[in-house]
Amino acid sequence: MSRRVTVAAALLACAGLIAGCGSRPAGVTGAGPPLAAPLSTSLVTAQGTWAVAVMGGPDADNKFWQLFFRPVTGGRWSLVTPQGVADNGGLVAAGGGAYLVVGFRPSQNLAFSPLATSTDTGRNWTPGLLDAGLADTPGAIAVGPSGRTLALLQDGTVEAAPTAGAAAAGRWAPLTTLKALAASAPGRACGLEGVTAVSFGPDGSPMVAGSCARPGPAGVFTDAGGTWRSAGLVLPAGGRARVLGLTAIAGGTVALLAASRPGGTSLFTAWWNGTRWTVSAPVTADGVRAFGFGPDGSAWLLPGHGRPEAVAGAASSAWRPLPPVPPETGTLAPGAGGSFDALAVAGSRLTVWRLGRGAWARVQQVTVPIQVGSSG
Amino acid sequence: MPGMNSGLSPGDPTLVAAFRSALLHQGAIAVLTLAFLWLLWATARTWRPAAAPSAMSRAATSRAAIAEPRGRWLLRTGFGVLWIFDGFLQAQPKMAGGLATQVIEPIAASSPGWVQHLVNWGGTVWSYHPIQAGAASVWIQVGIGAWLIAAARGPWSRLAGAASVAWGLVVWVFGESFGGIFAPGLSWLTGAPGGVLFYVAAGTLIALPEDVWRRPRSGRLLLAGAGVFFAGMALLQAWPGRGFWQGTAGGKAGTLSGMVTQMSATPQPRVLSSLLSGFASLATRYGFAVNLVVVIALAAMGAAFLTGRPRLVRYAVWFGIAFCLADWVLVQDLGFLGGLGTDPNSMIPLILLFSAGYLTLAPEVTGEMAGTGEAADDGKAGGTGGAEKAQDAGNVGRPRPGVLSGLGNVVASARARSVAAVGALAVIVLGAAPMASAAANRTADPILALAISGDSSRVDLPAPGFSLTDQDGRTVSLASLRGKVVLLTFLDPVCTTDCPIIAQEFKQAGQMLGEQAGQVEMVAVVANPTYRSTAFTRAFDRQEGLTTVPNWVYLTGSLSQLGEVWRHYGVSVQNLPAGAMSAHNDLAVIIDPAGRIRQEMDADPGPGTSGTKSSFSVLLSQYARQALGQS
Repeated sequence: MSRRVTVAAALLACAGLIAGCGSRPAGVTGAGPPLAAPLSTSLVTAQGTWAVAVMGGPDADNKFWQLFFRPVTGGRWSLVTPQGVADNGGLVAAGGGAYLVVGFRPSQNLAFSPLATSTDTGRNWTPGLLDAGLADTPGAIAVGPSGRTLALLQDGTVEAAPTAGAAAAGRWAPLTTLKALAASAPGRACGLEGVTAVSFGPDGSPMVAGSCARPGPAGVFTDAGGTWRSAGLVLPAGGRARVLGLTAIAGGTVALLAASRPGGTSLFTAWWNGTRWTVSAPVTADGVRAFGFGPDGSAWLLPGHGRPEAVAGAASSAWRPLPPVPPETGTLAPGAGGSFDALAVAGSRLTVWRLGRGAWARVQQVTVPIQVGSSG
Repeated sequence: MPGMNSGLSPGDPTLVAAFRSALLHQGAIAVLTLAFLWLLWATARTWRPAAAPSAMSRAATSRAAIAEPRGRWLLRTGFGVLWIFDGFLQAQPKMAGGLATQVIEPIAASSPGWVQHLVNWGGTVWSYHPIQAGAASVWIQVGIGAWLIAAARGPWSRLAGAASVAWGLVVWVFGESFGGIFAPGLSWLTGAPGGVLFYVAAGTLIALPEDVWRRPRSGRLLLAGAGVFFAGMALLQAWPGRGFWQGTAGGKAGTLSGMVTQMSATPQPRVLSSLLSGFASLATRYGFAVNLVVVIALAAMGAAFLTGRPRLVRYAVWFGIAFCLADWVLVQDLGFLGGLGTDPNSMIPLILLFSAGYLTLAPEVTGEMAGTGEAADDGKAGGTGGAEKAQDAGNVGRPRPGVLSGLGNVVASARARSVAAVGALAVIVLGAAPMASAAANRTADPILALAISGDSSRVDLPAPGFSLTDQDGRTVSLASLRGKVVLLTFLDPVCTTDCPIIAQEFKQAGQMLGEQAGQVEMVAVVANPTYRSTAFTRAFDRQEGLTTVPNWVYLTGSLSQLGEVWRHYGVSVQNLPAGAMSAHNDLAVIIDPAGRIRQEMDADPGPGTSGTKSSFSVLLSQYARQALGQS
């Protein structure tokens, strides 16, 4: 009997072990994801203001990214999304000189990025081609005044096309790669982990920005005749820095950076005049829904929660909180005299709210003919 | 899981019709085979009345004097009936199209990666050949069941047990993902460790020599096994942190009540649904008490079986039957409802197993099972058994016949049960052979493509000519391709959905054509009014790995040139607003070497799974071969 009990006990122990094998493992908690740069944004060119927002939904196949344009002379927004390509993967827009270039990010079975270029405020588009996938960041395309175009690919390669025509014809040449940049002296100094934005410097030379593993230096690099050098930006508060956006302005460059610090994530705007950087005061954010740059070096930020913030420029580098945005606001667009439009999206309806006298007022509604099911 | 999901609806009418047709055809062949066997046997008996008894039949006759052990009889007939029942369940209309996606894949989803990988292989074979796989499952299970029932004694019977083990293991691994033993949430209540594992256990016991069944020690061992099993399940049920002790957790239903609530949503009679809902409410409100009852009951049964004391075991058996039946109804929801139920889950097989143990433990009463087993066989033969014996006795000392006559004697002297067992084996082969043949083919059955696009239209029209520019900038006209079969389609080079899939189907079709590919040109014409330059056709070719395919041509031209081709071939192309893809209809046209259109098919690739892609490729290559044959 005792032997039987021993055997039974052993078998029960085995069963217990099996039970343990079948049990759900304890949850694993880790560090939160790095602050990502969303594609929802707006940009200002000589022709007017452009806004990129996602509409439709709720499933990914029915989310379509839209491009809206508001002329510099008038106050109404119009839908100018280029046709011919499904843009469920996201749109990246960049302006320079007379050109507005839009890149379609890869989605579903499309692995490369068609482009569309307009010189007439989005009325007509010329198709272009980037024979690789565009990176998932709003700073993935930069256009210089002459039409010279830079593109950041998904694998961290930066390609350049000498003219807008060359970009349309798919004649791109590699400028640098993440691997090469990370192996360079400035790349090693910041522990470059990824490339997040491309732009042009005050002298028209290409600039590349990224995220750094080492606290302190920010990964902003300039192309000095084939050699990449650090632009010398160091955040005063330290922390690991990630450049969310980089854009050229008259006589300089503006960057929006996120720095992870023990107390959370702080965001800074930094202005470069070609010789020195001016860095704004920090603003704390738990996430970024949208951000963008305005004329004259201004910048704005729509955080994950809470009120939007805006900064006027290097001369006035303190963040200014804006009134809480209307519900469903997808992006902001700077207007004249420090005003802003909030573009709120509900399915296929875009509602434009304008900031005046400290409050948002509804000024326009646009119904967008979302082609539900066309990408599914 | 890659490959497993054909992407088609389980109730797809084409699949359902094809499955029904396959079952009817194979059923007719099965009936004819059985009729032939019966005729052969009856004829042999009529023409060879003087057949000498074989050594086997003499041995069987002497064995027949002793009845089959009751435990073995219970397992053999019980699991025989269960296999037949499972076979009929496999014949449900949605089974061919739905088993892989609705049954196998969800079960495997919560298992570790290596289990998913293994199961995916089986699921892919099923989803590539759903009709053959569905029909094979029906006939194999019906055949094994019939074999178990027909072959009562001797090697045939033990072989039937081995067949049950082999097929049971296949079902347990691929159909039940090892009964979910590697997945979280394992519980006796819901069928752990997989109902089919009990079929395997029963098959193993049936395959043992019959003498083993006559020893009470065998019954004790079987009951001890059941005892360990129940005790282990009690421990598993009592294990903390698995959600069974809580009726609710975080405002949601607990593990047990959640499972039962989910089961109650299965299409079923209202009475049953109400019972389940009621039990779910009870388990939600008194989660701890319900689980405590279950743990105590399992532990008590385990302990009783482990003692091996007949009286205690008898009480435990009756209690176990009642408890298992209650679980079968209230938790497992009978297991076979909803249109995709494959078996009555674990409780009935479990009851059969421990009851067989009890019957083996109890003293054997010779002749008690009169009317069953081999002894009954003679009686059931309607007097033929007795006549047979008389004939056997009269044949002693007759001269030995030749080979053919000897074979005839063997057939004539075979018992009805042996003939039935051979018939059951024939039914298994009937189902397994087409599946084995299909599984050896790595391409999917064309039925998937036909289910998506419908049958192609056979036509005989001159193909409208065109002259466009290929991806390398050369001018290509349809006339320049005369002498070859042309597989023509229309693709958008910046398409995000169908076109890359269609291109892959064409590429695979070219590979399937083998040497004949040299006589076939695969031609795509751009279907996008805006993104139509050769830069885009080349980019598309690179994306799809088509740059090295020698007979692939991707043509484009001016908008007016393209518009004319689109119009002639009935392809509607237009840009859509608001970030949508350029719209066009999917079409494939098969043009014979003389320049005549032979087939037009809707090339909508459907879900674009590996199975459907392969299926379309098979169809395209078949059409290309037909067009080559027509030239």
